[in-house]
Amino acid sequence: MKTRYRASFVAVVTLVVAGPVLGLAASAFASTNTYTRTPYQTGRANAGTPNSTNVVKNSSGTVVSYGNSAITYTAPSPSLATLGQSLFLENCASCHGTAANGVPANGTSGAFPNLVGLGPATIDFWIESGRMPAADPRAVQANRRVPRLSHSQALAIAAWVNSLSPSYPDIPSPNLASANVSDGAALFALNCAACHTIEGDGDALAAGTFAPSLRNIPAYQVVEAIRTGPGNMPRFTGNLSDFQVADIVKYVTTEIQHPQNPGGFGLGGLGPVAEGFVGLLLGVGLLALVGFWVGERQ
Amino acid sequence: MSQIINTKRGRREQSGPYGKLGHALNELDDRMGVAKGGRTFLDKIFPDHWSFMLGEIALYSFVVLLATGIFLTLYYVPSQDLTTYTGSYLPLYGQKVTEAFASTVNLSFAVRAGLLMRQMHHWSCDIFIGAIVVHMGRVFFTGAFRKPRETNWVIGTTLLILAIVNGFLGYSLPDDLVSGTGIRIAYSIILSIPVVGSYVAFFLFGGNFPGTSILPRFFILHVLIIPLIILSLVGAHMVLLVRQKHTQFPGKGKTENNVVGTPMYPVFMAKTTGFMFVVAGATALLGAFAQINPIWQFGPYTASRISYAVQPDWYMGFLDGALRIFPAWSFHSFGYTIPLEVTIPAVIFPGILFNLVMAWPTIERKFTKDNEMHNLLDRPSNRPKRTSAGVAVAVLCSMLFIASSTDVIANFFHLSLNTVLWSMRILCIVMPVLAYPVTYKICREMQGFAGAGKRKTANIVTRTAEGEYVATPAPAYVDDLVHEHELEAVPVPTYVVDVDDEVSSGEGGVRRVPR
Repeated sequence: MKTRYRASFVAVVTLVVAGPVLGLAASAFASTNTYTRTPYQTGRANAGTPNSTNVVKNSSGTVVSYGNSAITYTAPSPSLATLGQSLFLENCASCHGTAANGVPANGTSGAFPNLVGLGPATIDFWIESGRMPAADPRAVQANRRVPRLSHSQALAIAAWVNSLSPSYPDIPSPNLASANVSDGAALFALNCAACHTIEGDGDALAAGTFAPSLRNIPAYQVVEAIRTGPGNMPRFTGNLSDFQVADIVKYVTTEIQHPQNPGGFGLGGLGPVAEGFVGLLLGVGLLALVGFWVGERQ
Repeated sequence: MSQIINTKRGRREQSGPYGKLGHALNELDDRMGVAKGGRTFLDKIFPDHWSFMLGEIALYSFVVLLATGIFLTLYYVPSQDLTTYTGSYLPLYGQKVTEAFASTVNLSFAVRAGLLMRQMHHWSCDIFIGAIVVHMGRVFFTGAFRKPRETNWVIGTTLLILAIVNGFLGYSLPDDLVSGTGIRIAYSIILSIPVVGSYVAFFLFGGNFPGTSILPRFFILHVLIIPLIILSLVGAHMVLLVRQKHTQFPGKGKTENNVVGTPMYPVFMAKTTGFMFVVAGATALLGAFAQINPIWQFGPYTASRISYAVQPDWYMGFLDGALRIFPAWSFHSFGYTIPLEVTIPAVIFPGILFNLVMAWPTIERKFTKDNEMHNLLDRPSNRPKRTSAGVAVAVLCSMLFIASSTDVIANFFHLSLNTVLWSMRILCIVMPVLAYPVTYKICREMQGFAGAGKRKTANIVTRTAEGEYVATPAPAYVDDLVHEHELEAVPVPTYVVDVDDEVSSGEGGVRRVPR
């Protein structure tokens, strides 16, 4: 009786102590496994991950492209990786390090992001929007400018960085034919306008950061930004499907970039600030001048 | 047998020397005695100075506001019921919007001249309040508010407040994303009023924000109640103006006891009618060529959505700026939140400001102990303390106005928003304090400067035979040589009868009548 009691006691204690240890070890093992294999941010279908309608694999089973009727994500060709490495060493390694892990070369100071595992779309966005190579590495936020590297060079660098630790999302190519601009407008107001403003002009955020203007951004880069979340921008994955992203992109590339301006000159999208100046200077000012002309001046 | 004259001239002669209109007026006078009041009105003397036209910009903008506003009420639906937008603007097609928003977009796109009317209404509002402020500045800096005109000063200030409030209400009516945010802020400001805030807010909104009754209530306030109050106060402003007669700048023949100027008919009536059409025309040009408040781009308001970079119309700017830059002082004790960060800039500050403005004539009298009647205006530099105080307050309001666009400034000049915010905090305190002594010094300098306030004459540049250029000022304008020419009597216009010749003399149609 006493022994049996002891045996059960020992069993319970062993389970209580060992269980969490085993569980933690198992989950750690499982999570490392998950990380290397599928670093998705969402399990939702058709949201920028290979969990999509159309998945194309090559003979060795690697995903070449995935997506759906709204957006197709294509991986950069692995054959570009060698070229990509030399381009990376030339243009990026002085800050991001020769292994793209954010450890800079000797003689360079500062903390630079680790690029390993970020996915081709991130690399492509930063290079093709001209933000990288950075004009001023110490700036709070890089400005959009004319890209230093060509489209194929950006793809090559993305291919090499991706070869270090394959990841997603791949480089998107939206098909806006069946996208709904009205849904896009509503989604834009809900998800984007809080920083980029409802007219898409962008605005200053805290401490030197800013939401850039959306007036001159190609469609695929809008998708890249939404899916990868550059800088301060949140990464929109689970809450927006590819179809919704296409709606937003259509709204941005049509109504934001080419607004219909019935009612005269759009006053720079600055809203009541510009309107106030026009109303006071042109309106009141002009009328006061007429009054000055009509009335006596002595 | 009476002779029947059936020729054009004969018929005209039959209806008297002033034609059919004169005949009709005679009939009216026989019954209602309009001639006496009409004579007083037509004979009212308007001293002529360009700065006296500023108030008229406001008056005629109000006329434009009423006309365009009536047009807009024909199409606007004051309802927050949801409907599906099925109009011509594709980016909104199929969205669930309120009736108010849908009707405003429809009146912009589907009604002939609807957008023009809406834009004219909005521009006219901006001009209306701008003109009120400029007119108020003129009255303040020239001391026109002094006894006996304190009442009219208070009426004018009330008109400014009502105009700002009504502008805000009208701005809110389309129920777009930007104006909805404005109502949200207004709700929070009302909530921050100590003790009664939540009760007042719930009473006004019929419950919690946003509710479904605020737009219909705003509509009634905007198109009926406040315009009626404004209209009657404008009437009172005018009646007092006629009753107390105009002020005038000191000049030849102008004393505290007379009014020198042109009569209403015909000179001033021609000027002012023309000016009305210029105001309406300028507003129409702005409405036609400058886009204002493109609500279709903003989309409908829902409480879950927000746009960054939202500013109110310019006349609310100084309040928005005060809200933006005020430190986040908020206390929680005994289960209550005391949101000083909102109460001080949005309730207490405007309260103090407008009370100060209203009480200014009294305050100034306390200081100057001046209880005399004043019909002659001051030159601002001759009253340096008043001028400096006014400039300081104007500078404070301008700084707060600039502070309402901190984000736009930061974005435009690539500055840190935090830097801009702190700069504005410092500038709002430093600039008014600096403005007072600087203005005071300038005023004192101008007092000692001979010829200040006179028109500058052109320089006559001559070339000598040696090729040297010499600039000499042209002689002063005849009008400016006050003491050299006395007033000459001019014949009294033929339509004026029973006017004593001794007092009705003047020059170039200028007459003097006893006050």
